[in-house]
Amino acid sequence: MIDFTLSKKQRELKEGIHGLGKYVIRPMSLDMDRKHEVPESFLRNFMAMASSFRGSAGHFGSESTDEEKPRAAAPHDGGGRVSESNRTAAVGAEELAWADAALLLSLPGPGLGAPPVRSTGTPEQKKRFFDMFAGMDKGPLRWGAYGLTEPGAGSDVAGIRTSCRKDGDHWVLNGRKCYITNGGRAIWTVIFATVDPSQGRAGHRAFVVEKGTPGFEVGKIEEKMGLRANETAELVLEDCRVPDANLLGGEEAYRSKEGFMAAMKTFDTTRPLVGAMAVGIGRAAYEHARDFVKANYLLGRPLPRYAALAERLARVGRRLEAARLLVWRAVYMADLAQPNAKEASMAKAAAGQAAIFACTEAIQICGAHGSLATEHALLEKWFRDIKVYDIFEGTGNIQRVVISKRLMPSIKAF
Amino acid sequence: MIDFEPSEEQRLVRESVAEFARSTLAPRVREVERARAVPEDVRRLAHEMGLGTAGVPESAGGQGLGMLTTVLLEEELGAADAGAAFGLAGPGAFGTAVTELGTPDQIRALLADFSDSEGYARFGAVAWSESAPRRDRAGFSTTATRAADGGYVLTGKKAFVTNAHLADRFLVFAQVDDAAGWGGLGAFVVRRGDPGVVVGARHDTLGLDAADFGEIELAGAVVAEGARLLGDAGEGGFTRATLRFFAKRALIVAARAVGLARFAFDLARDHCEMRTAFGKPIGHFQAVAFALADRHMDVESARWLLWSAASAWDAASAGKYERALHATAQAAASALEAAMRMADDCVGLHGGSGFIRDVVAEKLMRDAKQLALCCPTAEQLDQLATALELGAPLDPALVLPTPDAQAIFT
Repeated sequence: MIDFTLSKKQRELKEGIHGLGKYVIRPMSLDMDRKHEVPESFLRNFMAMASSFRGSAGHFGSESTDEEKPRAAAPHDGGGRVSESNRTAAVGAEELAWADAALLLSLPGPGLGAPPVRSTGTPEQKKRFFDMFAGMDKGPLRWGAYGLTEPGAGSDVAGIRTSCRKDGDHWVLNGRKCYITNGGRAIWTVIFATVDPSQGRAGHRAFVVEKGTPGFEVGKIEEKMGLRANETAELVLEDCRVPDANLLGGEEAYRSKEGFMAAMKTFDTTRPLVGAMAVGIGRAAYEHARDFVKANYLLGRPLPRYAALAERLARVGRRLEAARLLVWRAVYMADLAQPNAKEASMAKAAAGQAAIFACTEAIQICGAHGSLATEHALLEKWFRDIKVYDIFEGTGNIQRVVISKRLMPSIKAF
Repeated sequence: MIDFEPSEEQRLVRESVAEFARSTLAPRVREVERARAVPEDVRRLAHEMGLGTAGVPESAGGQGLGMLTTVLLEEELGAADAGAAFGLAGPGAFGTAVTELGTPDQIRALLADFSDSEGYARFGAVAWSESAPRRDRAGFSTTATRAADGGYVLTGKKAFVTNAHLADRFLVFAQVDDAAGWGGLGAFVVRRGDPGVVVGARHDTLGLDAADFGEIELAGAVVAEGARLLGDAGEGGFTRATLRFFAKRALIVAARAVGLARFAFDLARDHCEMRTAFGKPIGHFQAVAFALADRHMDVESARWLLWSAASAWDAASAGKYERALHATAQAAASALEAAMRMADDCVGLHGGSGFIRDVVAEKLMRDAKQLALCCPTAEQLDQLATALELGAPLDPALVLPTPDAQAIFT
């Protein structure tokens, strides 16, 4: 039955994160942004709390190790049981990004490295690499990462130049990866390399490269426009020897084109969540502007009496709501295991732009107050944070390529 | 739980309306447009299906379908011919208005005969807008004054009335209390043929040619006390009920707009796959492909917004419908604009052929613009959304689609 209300569990998750966001995270948001760091003590407390929301908070990056089990189950049409986990993740991601998006991206766990391991890894690899995240409640915090982008290839994934060649029971990797989220601190990173650039995608191999492997070094830690509390690193591979056992899926996985496609498929679940985060940031800015309008006067008249301001607010509000529903549509299809590449890209493309629009308009509505880094500090921070949501996980233009391909299947290239 | 799957009943209703739209409406789009009316055989078929009375309460002989089901079926009508959707028989906007503003007895008395065997020839209409705003004070020029022997006397001219020449009954909004401005309105039912009810000229319009729009004049028409619809009880109750009527009407018109946009998208997409330039289908070029991708996002998101608003109405209870109102304002404003952008791009992507009447694109563009004026406009809905969001008192001058700035077709 068509329904747009949250389940009890989702409501509780949303309210829990909202309270934490409002009273704990936002007050330290600007400080984290300036220090380029999320305090470890906070991360530990958050992880302990998240485990009480079993299975749903896991999607923010602190993935649990029971990857094969559906994390949540809900009755569907009275018949079989269908997982609701992607929908719950979207609700949680929006709310946590509403509090602080950089913090969300900094949560311990395999993060963006998880989907390729889950989709392409052998059972042995899944166990080995996910088990490394067990016991963080007592031991050190750990992160995973995803290394695809290079200085010379981002959107054009087929153009990566990082090379790999077989040498005995090892592979030797050479190249550079850039803009890697949590790349410096990750205990392992999924690195994409090619046996032969002339083969295009057929030549690609994905490896789990562990921290400390000789020849695998962290390069520059980037200074960014926004999301400053989250680490973005360059990774350098120089004659880095990676054991056979770390080739994701083993050699058989690359006999067909599916090996690469599997790695791309991970975007079908991650893109809507990136969209959900964007909606969260956009909503934060929208609410700020709304409250500003509510509380202020111009020429003795309350601001809401100015129709142009009301119009601006309403346009922001409905674009965010439209984006949220595109996100929900995409995660709903993911939960039902329906092909959703088009919907995932639509969610991400629409949400990124809607949220940029929201942040820009919010500053405009508040006037000079909106750009100050003191009084309305978070508004200027959100404006800096949001831009990359139309860039990472595939730029807006790349999303439109994905969408176009599925709208016009008879046309081969765009 | 978030779910996008229509119920079995909704699927059946949608499928049967889609079939009617495909096989009966779509092939006759230009015929109906030229005739500026929906022919009797089409209206009879629609009447047999109960299309005109889908939203009429069961207690008044209708199907009593919820807003969600209504939105699903209206999208299908709009996908074939948004103009014809207005010209199928039935109470239309009159039915929605009476249901929101009337008592159960009034609803039964005014709507029951739309379901009888002659229903295919019956229309209702709402007379709201006036061709010029008053300058001396807020409110309508049309007045309702107390008659000496009870009841009211209506005097004034109404414009932009849908089905003005087809309707046998009208709900006329008139000024009851001059001093109260837009808060001083009343609603009165008059019948065609009543002394003092004069149907005026038919408007020549930009689009929706199959639908009839015109004027009516009230020249001292006398209405009985019982023919006044009072809306909700209590302070501001009339404004609240009127606002609900306009919100639900907006959702229905917006659903037709989403249908129109879907049709325009399919037409544009097919053209982009077929038409070649520089040796390639034009859809190969990113400027073209990305425009289609953007419009597809528009249309899909507009549909989900409508579903969300409609399901909020179905879940709302008496007195607790603010979320539904807010969702409707967001949804309808988005859908009306999305349809216009889509129809505009549909003509544009066709190039010169889009401007020629051999292709239906030009009609879709004219219809889309006209549709955007057949319920509260996007601008009016945006003001409503912000007023609700800020928790401001619902000032009738701000939240009702008064003709002060933009007049609408009802």
